[in-house]
Amino acid sequence: MARVGVFVCFCGANIADYVDVPQVVEEVKRIKEVKFATEYKYMCSDPGQGMIRDAIVQNKLTSIVVAACSPRMHEKTFRKALSDAGMNPYLLEVANIREHSSWVHQKDKKAATEKAMDLCRMAVAKSIANEQLHEISVPVTKRALVIGGGIAGIQAALDIADARIPVVLVERSPSIGGKMAQLDETFPTLDCAQCILTPKMVDVASHPYIELIPYSEVIELQGFVGNYKVRIKKKASYVNFKTCTGCGACWQKCPVKVPNEYNMGIDKRKAIYTPFPQAVPNKPVIDAEHCTMLTKGKCGICAKVCDKGSIDYTMQDEIIEREIGAVVVATGYDMWDPKPYEEYGVGRFKDIITSLEFERMVSANGPTNGVPIRPSDGKVPKNVVFIKCVGSRDEAKGIEYCSKICCMYTTKHTILLHHKVHDSHAYVFYMDIRAAGKGYEEFVKKAQVDTGTTYLRGRVSKIYKKGDKLMVRGEDAQLGQVVEVEADMVVLATAVSAPKDNPDLARLLGISYDKYGYLSEAHPKLRPVETAKAGIFLAGCTQAPKDIPETVSQASACAAKVCGLFAGDTMKKDPMVSTINNEYCSGCQNCVKVCPYGAIVTDDVPIGHGSKELRTVAKINEGVCQGCGSCVAICRSMAINLAGFTDPQIINEIVSI
Amino acid sequence: MITLGTQGKNTFLADVNKKSGANVLECYQCGKCVGTCPVSQYMDFPPREIMQMIKLGLRNESYMANSHWFCLTCSACSGRCPREIDIPAVMEAVRHLAIEENYINDSTKVKEIRKFHEIFLAMIKRYGRNYELRMMAEFNIRTRNLFKDMHLAPKALLKGKIPLGVKPLKSAKAIKRMYELAEKLEKNK
Repeated sequence: MARVGVFVCFCGANIADYVDVPQVVEEVKRIKEVKFATEYKYMCSDPGQGMIRDAIVQNKLTSIVVAACSPRMHEKTFRKALSDAGMNPYLLEVANIREHSSWVHQKDKKAATEKAMDLCRMAVAKSIANEQLHEISVPVTKRALVIGGGIAGIQAALDIADARIPVVLVERSPSIGGKMAQLDETFPTLDCAQCILTPKMVDVASHPYIELIPYSEVIELQGFVGNYKVRIKKKASYVNFKTCTGCGACWQKCPVKVPNEYNMGIDKRKAIYTPFPQAVPNKPVIDAEHCTMLTKGKCGICAKVCDKGSIDYTMQDEIIEREIGAVVVATGYDMWDPKPYEEYGVGRFKDIITSLEFERMVSANGPTNGVPIRPSDGKVPKNVVFIKCVGSRDEAKGIEYCSKICCMYTTKHTILLHHKVHDSHAYVFYMDIRAAGKGYEEFVKKAQVDTGTTYLRGRVSKIYKKGDKLMVRGEDAQLGQVVEVEADMVVLATAVSAPKDNPDLARLLGISYDKYGYLSEAHPKLRPVETAKAGIFLAGCTQAPKDIPETVSQASACAAKVCGLFAGDTMKKDPMVSTINNEYCSGCQNCVKVCPYGAIVTDDVPIGHGSKELRTVAKINEGVCQGCGSCVAICRSMAINLAGFTDPQIINEIVSI
Repeated sequence: MITLGTQGKNTFLADVNKKSGANVLECYQCGKCVGTCPVSQYMDFPPREIMQMIKLGLRNESYMANSHWFCLTCSACSGRCPREIDIPAVMEAVRHLAIEENYINDSTKVKEIRKFHEIFLAMIKRYGRNYELRMMAEFNIRTRNLFKDMHLAPKALLKGKIPLGVKPLKSAKAIKRMYELAEKLEKNK
């Protein structure tokens, strides 16, 4: 005979103001299995838990019902109280009478109380059928995969590796560094990006616990948390990195010139190249699309000039497999293409450039040696107009969201412009100045007061050409008048957008992404670095636009999560997983199709006891199963049961109301 | 329409900053001054807009505005300004520059204000203090509006707010000399 204890919480005034708690207690006492029922102001507090522990021992209770807040909030707390009293923690049921009753029925206390009673009755009925369950142990492969070698990936990899956990860092381009390597100085302190980034890049390359696989892409991920298997395609570089010394003879002699991606196409690179002088690894790769030896079989100069014989035109793509336990996704962002802004003359006027192009121009290692120049005639511009929110906060032509970093990098650009061209003047058209961050508002003030940047509130309506100048027309909302600025050059603060390959990557990894293509976190506030899939974490702009300090923080948070996951030799997991009754399973495999986690595989079992003939049944991988119940619902032969939510439990609940 | 970027350096901003001792660039256009100013509703450009016009180097427009004539220099705005800008000093600087550079706002309102200032200063020069009754009379005569505010006179007289006579200050002579010195300085400038 079941002996149930019921503990009803006031939650201060949260529940007690709208639910008649003593009445609920009286009502549950009438249920014959309930041997003990009481109320308390804060059941989650230590005295509250003490009441539960004492009642378990004194009344020899066999299951416990706590009527309080959502189980998301305190289920773990109360399970622990049960364990402390020597009871199996899974004999607990939580009746959520706060979110499901008092909070949503604040205008009708009587009805709220009745609903609370119903919820309690259901929980009591369910708890009677509760069984003892035990945590599942899953072995862990203590090696992490980091996808993307920008500042987010670099930071995550270094932090994990510093905890002596091996890391595989996969980067698509020939060098790590990402977008940050393209920046000149960084807001709000104006540190040189190269100076703070390149030491970290070198650390990655020399770290004994990091395996850097550049010029590669992840093509497949199988398995489950702690036990993933990843396949990585290493693109043919046509250069033997083991023998190459990075002397540079090959790219000096290469006759093929290609627009340089690192410098936003402002200058040219060769077909055999390293992206930039500080690249890590500092070894060249051959761009197979443009190399005439690879496309037409003519040339071969690089092979001739290479002393070490490192050039190998026959090199093939290679597939690398690694076993890993966790993944950090840090694929960064793309700059939004401002082509839809026809009224600005994007594409027609050469002297309209994007912010990243401006960044390369003012960069000390940039194509113009740090001096901004007009692309049309190579002159140094005096009046420069910066336009913010190009693509951002524009539902018609761009994207709805605020790209978060443009306010600050534009502020930085105006200061840098003044540093490089002393007699220049910067005008900024803005809608808002969003400078929330440590030292950010002060940085904006520096631009406005010390640099003398003119801020004009309004979106630019159009740009037209007058002689060799660009006339930028908009409203100065501060004066309520139309304003036109005669500019030598216009810089568009283009929006941050999700990497265009993110949806493909998300499908490959089995995680979700939002309508913009950013990868989705498990909870926007309380689980911002986890994905819904256990063991996969997000760092940096791949989740949403963010600046460098935030990206680095998130990357370190990922590292902490990975280290936590790898803390023991095995992982503990809730036992709420599906089980299959082979005798009922018809082998239809509908469950395999609906499982969102890929937790169900097929297995062959003998048709009958001792029989040699086999038939196919479904098989649950406990490590992967998240207990969502989709398979239970789809199973036509009722062969699947979800532990903690078995048919008898659910039927008891339904019957009780 | 405002056109920017054609004149080169913003000399107006430099002039105003020099004369007022304030830095107009500090203004971030919050508008707290406008809400505070007791007369902003009578100005054609409230203080915030004047600040923006100075920032953009709109010299003529700022001079021709009536705002700096309406400003009472009561300092309520600067008392509440989050960037602690001395806005009355800026207003005064614009007023002085406008006079120096012969920009005359010839609206009736501004004319009256200027006349008021002149009469007031003449009064101080003469008596070392204000002589209210004469001030009122002279102002009404010179603005050709004899009965302006006349209905207030009986009550003010009874309460002793407008004394019938005036007793010149002991230091009236010294004040007069101050005026003469100032005028001399002005001439030699």
